This record gives sequence, structure tokens and C-alpha cells, in this order.
Amino acid sequence: MAASYWDSTQRKYWTFTKQQLSVERRKLEEAERALVLQFPLPDRRLLSIYFYHQLAKLARPLGVRQQALATAQVYVRRFYTKVEIRKTNPTLVLATALYLACKMEECPQHIRIISAETRHCWDMPLNDTSKIGECEFTLISEMNSQLIIHHPYRSLHELQAQFQLTQEENSLAWSIINDHYLTDLPLLYAPHVIAITAMFLAVVLKPAQGGPQLHAAGVATALQTLGNTRQTTAPGAQNRIQKLVNWLAESSVDIEAVVDCTQELISLYEIWELFTDKNCKDQIAKFVKARGLDK
Amino acid sequence: MFGGYSSKKKVIERYKIIGFISSGTYGRVYKAQGKHGQVGEFAIKKFKPDKEGEIQYTGISQSAIREMALCTELSHPNVVHTVEIILEDKCIYIVFEYAEHDLLQIIHHHNQVTRQAIPARTIKSILYQLLQGLVYLHKNWVMHRDLKPANIMVTSAGKVKIGDLGLARLFYKPLHSLFTGDKVVVTIWYRAPELLLGSRHYTPAVDLWAVGCIFAELLSLRPIFKGEEAKMDSKKTVPFQRNQMQRIVEILGMPTKERWPLLASMPEYPHLNSLASGNPRIHRPVSLEKWYEQNLRNNRYPEGQSKDSPGAEGLSLLQALLEYDPQKRLTAEKALSHPYFSAHDERLKPSDNCFEGSSIEYPNRRVSQEDNDIRTSSLPGTKRSGLPDDSIIGRPAKRLKEG
Repeated sequence: MAASYWDSTQRKYWTFTKQQLSVERRKLEEAERALVLQFPLPDRRLLSIYFYHQLAKLARPLGVRQQALATAQVYVRRFYTKVEIRKTNPTLVLATALYLACKMEECPQHIRIISAETRHCWDMPLNDTSKIGECEFTLISEMNSQLIIHHPYRSLHELQAQFQLTQEENSLAWSIINDHYLTDLPLLYAPHVIAITAMFLAVVLKPAQGGPQLHAAGVATALQTLGNTRQTTAPGAQNRIQKLVNWLAESSVDIEAVVDCTQELISLYEIWELFTDKNCKDQIAKFVKARGLDK
Repeated sequence: MFGGYSSKKKVIERYKIIGFISSGTYGRVYKAQGKHGQVGEFAIKKFKPDKEGEIQYTGISQSAIREMALCTELSHPNVVHTVEIILEDKCIYIVFEYAEHDLLQIIHHHNQVTRQAIPARTIKSILYQLLQGLVYLHKNWVMHRDLKPANIMVTSAGKVKIGDLGLARLFYKPLHSLFTGDKVVVTIWYRAPELLLGSRHYTPAVDLWAVGCIFAELLSLRPIFKGEEAKMDSKKTVPFQRNQMQRIVEILGMPTKERWPLLASMPEYPHLNSLASGNPRIHRPVSLEKWYEQNLRNNRYPEGQSKDSPGAEGLSLLQALLEYDPQKRLTAEKALSHPYFSAHDERLKPSDNCFEGSSIEYPNRRVSQEDNDIRTSSLPGTKRSGLPDDSIIGRPAKRLKEG
């Protein structure tokens, strides 16, 4: 578990292939076909970005640690592989996920603080804390009490020492890891694969060029680098990158997985540019209001 | 939300409650039988809601969350197996495999009923299994923090299983110093000296001290350091556990900076000097050797080298576990390769059935048929100290109360 991702419930029960994930989701939608037709929602990737932003917004004034926030992000994504969104009040789910994650990551927040902050942050009257308490039961139950999450931050920490990443590279890799919570990646790959991807991108993208802001185009270039260097002889490739690629090739790390993660991130950075809060917010509000889920 | 929470699994549909086993600050434990093809016996731990008869959801305590998460994640032959967790009617039920005995009960049986020592090979097997469970926990960055005889289960097949992870937690890079969360850990008689001296960054070594205390108790049938707990005052400041520290020093002697270099940096270090006042025994400690010799004699273990005696290696192991300096104290892994376990026959590991070769019959766990609210005694051996949990850390500001 904490030491070994390999024996963890995360690996055994909460890591999916893309196909498995889409089968699960299709099953949920088919079971609620009428609802799905009645209340169309934005693209899942946009919703995922929306949830990420909302959780971060709630966590900020509370001074919640990054790791607890990340755990909450994963809880929300796990939960929605089991429960159709339109049957829930997402605001309540987000607040509860944060409340639970803070306890799990040893930085507890009182339920009343969470409740008050929810009201303040989203202008949503969660009148009594018992709603959060009840939703906590639902969350834990749907997640089968499997609450321990392995994050890529720790793997990055180990890689940082091994590859002597610079301060800038490390913080760029760190923010790429932050970004991966906006996607399905936490449900698809092992934390060390995510960490290696983040490190690789950070080294290739060189933070100097354009600061830590990531662009789809930049990442696509990085992907090309990865593709080129895989053919082992890449004249002109920088030494460090070459070293990294050699290490990748010799290690048991699945390069295809790293490529795939990178593509997923490109897709995120592309769609992120189209994202607006408002659309998601309005569409969600529609079914919440209509179905009285906020009562 | 979606018409309220309702459990997909119902305790009563899945288990037949046979009776009540015990209770504590956390709630109650029941013995149960599986229904509908679910074979065997189980122990079901029911966490009581914060307030008895609570009609509303109030949020689950942090220690219950920890226990649930750890129980689902852990799996080892020497750690009590969790069958499932059921959330129903504002209560949490953790269903464990059933164990007929525990070390408290076994010690009691020898001390009060048969008045005979526990066979040396039984003790060796118990310790060996206990340490294997502990190696697993520590490898997985889990500190148990509440090891004591009552929490070490023994099945009727002689398998030893570490139970009650209610205080356990992960120690990989904690976000806070471990001290901030729960101010009081480990039942006082088994509490390591670094905890008594107020250490803020304690380590899995606290569990090994407890193993040392348990080893001593298995040999002598009495807690080796039976101190009286100083209670928290009204301001909830944690008092220095003077009496407990005295009990330790009376046997082991004063800890010294020579043997424990970081001693002087312990927050409660200044209290140590005052321990001796009015207590001459502090100046003339018994020494662990003497204590060991006396107790082996009292309990009629054969003298000299014999497989029926814990022998000289037993003392050496005990000394290495009851080592003041947590950095020098044996780790669980090192303890397993201690000569104590290989003495007499290097090829043979201690049995994984602690009753092997023993004809002693232990009574079955007492199960009460009436499920009334049996009050537990507040003896440290039977009940854990109250934990502040998140009620202290996250105490809401006053202005939020009206909501």
C-alpha cells in the first residue's frame, strides 16, 4: 500500500484501461437513458476541468495542502465512474470529497468549516452539515472504503534526486502533475508513469522557453522528440534528454504509456483553451434545479 | 442527495449476531455468524456515532476513516483480516475474521487460573508472528501506535494477528508533525520513553518498545512498567507522565546522554532530574538482568540452556527492544533475525502455531448474550485513552456556529 503501489487497491481496483473506462461510463449512461437525453452535458473532458477548478477554488481559502486537494480530485473521478452525474448534486460531491480527503491526508478540516466555505465559495446554501455527512457515507461506500491514494508527487521526488532536476524543471514537472488531475489520467496509469511523463516533458520543454505555461504545441514537439529519440540515434539531441531516453529504454517503464500520457496532456491543453466555467455551471445547474438535488 | 444514503448491504441480512464481546471509546464489538453461504465466525466492530442516538449525520471521525482505509488496504497472515466494511444507518461496521483469543486473555488465564508460566515455545512463536506482522506494517509505512496484549489476537489454530488499527497511521512524510494529530498515543504501560518525554517526531520504534513490554508481560504475566496515568488537565495540555517514567527508570535506570545522544533535546527532558526526589529506587535500579532472572525463577522456567526456557537470548532480545534510544532500538526486521529465534536449532523457525506442543486449553472468548451497554473499566490495559481527533484541530471558529 503506502510503500507499494503494486499491492494497492488503487492498482487492483481503480486503474482502468481506456476501454474499460468507457464501458463503465456507457453502462451508467444507458441505465439512465432518459435523464441523459433530457439533460445534455458538456464534453466529459470539459466537466473534468470544471470539477478541478471548482475543487481548487474551494480548497484555496482553506489553505488545504496540495496532496489533500489531489486526493479529493481522484475521489471525485472515481465516484463518477460509479454514479451517473445527473443523479447527484456535484457541488455537494465536491465539498464532501474535499472534506474526506483532508481527513485521509492528515490535515482535517471541520465539517462546519467546509460547509461554510462551500456556501461562501459557490453561493450554495448547504444548510446543514448533515448533507456533507450523508454524502460522505455515499462516497466511501461507492469507493468501497478504498481511500488511500498513491500520487505521482512522491515518484517525482525520487526521480528528482536521481536525475538531478533543476529547480525549474522540478517545479514544471510538479505543475504538469497538477494538470494531470484535470484528465482521466489518474484512473488510467500508475503514479510513476505519470511522474516520468511529467519529468520528461519538463526536461524537454525547458522551462526557460515561455515560462511554466504549457501549450499543446510545445508538448506535441516534446512528443516528437520522444518519438525520434526512440530510434536510439538522434543526432543533435541534447545529452540530458538522450540520457533520459536511454534510461527509459533500459528501464521496465512502458514507453507506450508515457507517449499515451503525453497525448492525453496535449489533448487537455488543446481543450483547455476552449473551456469556460459558465457553460458547465449552467448545464449542471439545470438538472440540479429541475430534479431538486440541492434540497 | 439522490433521496438520501441507503446501504446496499445490510448487516442484519448478512450476519447473525451471536453476542456482545467488548466495548471501548470507539463503539462495540460483536461476535457474529455468516448467513447465506457466508461460512464462519466474525467479529463486527460497530463505531458508535459521535453522540449516542444521533439522528443526523455528523461526519466520520478521523480515526475511523484511518482504520477503514488501512483495513481495506492491508493484507497479511499476521494482521487481522478485514472481510468487509458496511455503512448503514449512520453507523460504520467493520467485519473482521474472528479470533477466539487475545494475549490479554491468555496472560490472564496463566496468571489467575492455572498459575503457571506460559510455555517458552508458545512465547517464542507469539513474538515471531507478532514481529512478522509488524515488519509488514512498517514496510508499508504503517505505525500501529497502540500495541498491547488486548490488541494482539490469537486464533484457535494458534495464529497471531495484530488487531485494532484504530490508532494506526501512515508515517511517510506526514504533512504535520505526528504530534499535532493525536496528542496521546499508546496505552500508557506500553508507551515508549520518547513519547513520555514529549518527542514530536516519533518513529515506528514506538511499536518495538511496546513489543518489548509485551514480551516481558508474557514472561512475568504482569505488565513490566505498570504506571499510573496522569490525566489531562482542563486546558487539555498533556501532562508529563512522571509515574510511568519512574516505573521504567526503577528497572532500567536513568537514561543517559551517552546511551541516548538526543535525550537532552526531548521537550520533557528537564522533568527527568526531578524523578528521583523522594524515590530511592530510582538511584538503585533493579536492572533488566535482575528483573529477568527473578521472573524466570518465579515462573519456574528451567535454569540454564533449555528449550523450555527463554534463556540468555531472551534477555538479549528484551534488552534490545527496551532500548531507551529509539534509533538504537531493534527494528522489527532485525528483531526477527535475533538469535533468540534460532537458538536450539538454527534450521527451525519458531512454529506458526503458537499452541504447538502445548496441551493447555484456553477458555473461549466470553460472549455476552445481552447486548446492553456494558461499561468498560478505565484500566489502561482495557481501554484506550481518549483521542482528540479532528475535533481539536479543526475546531470551528465561533462565528461559524450559527449556520
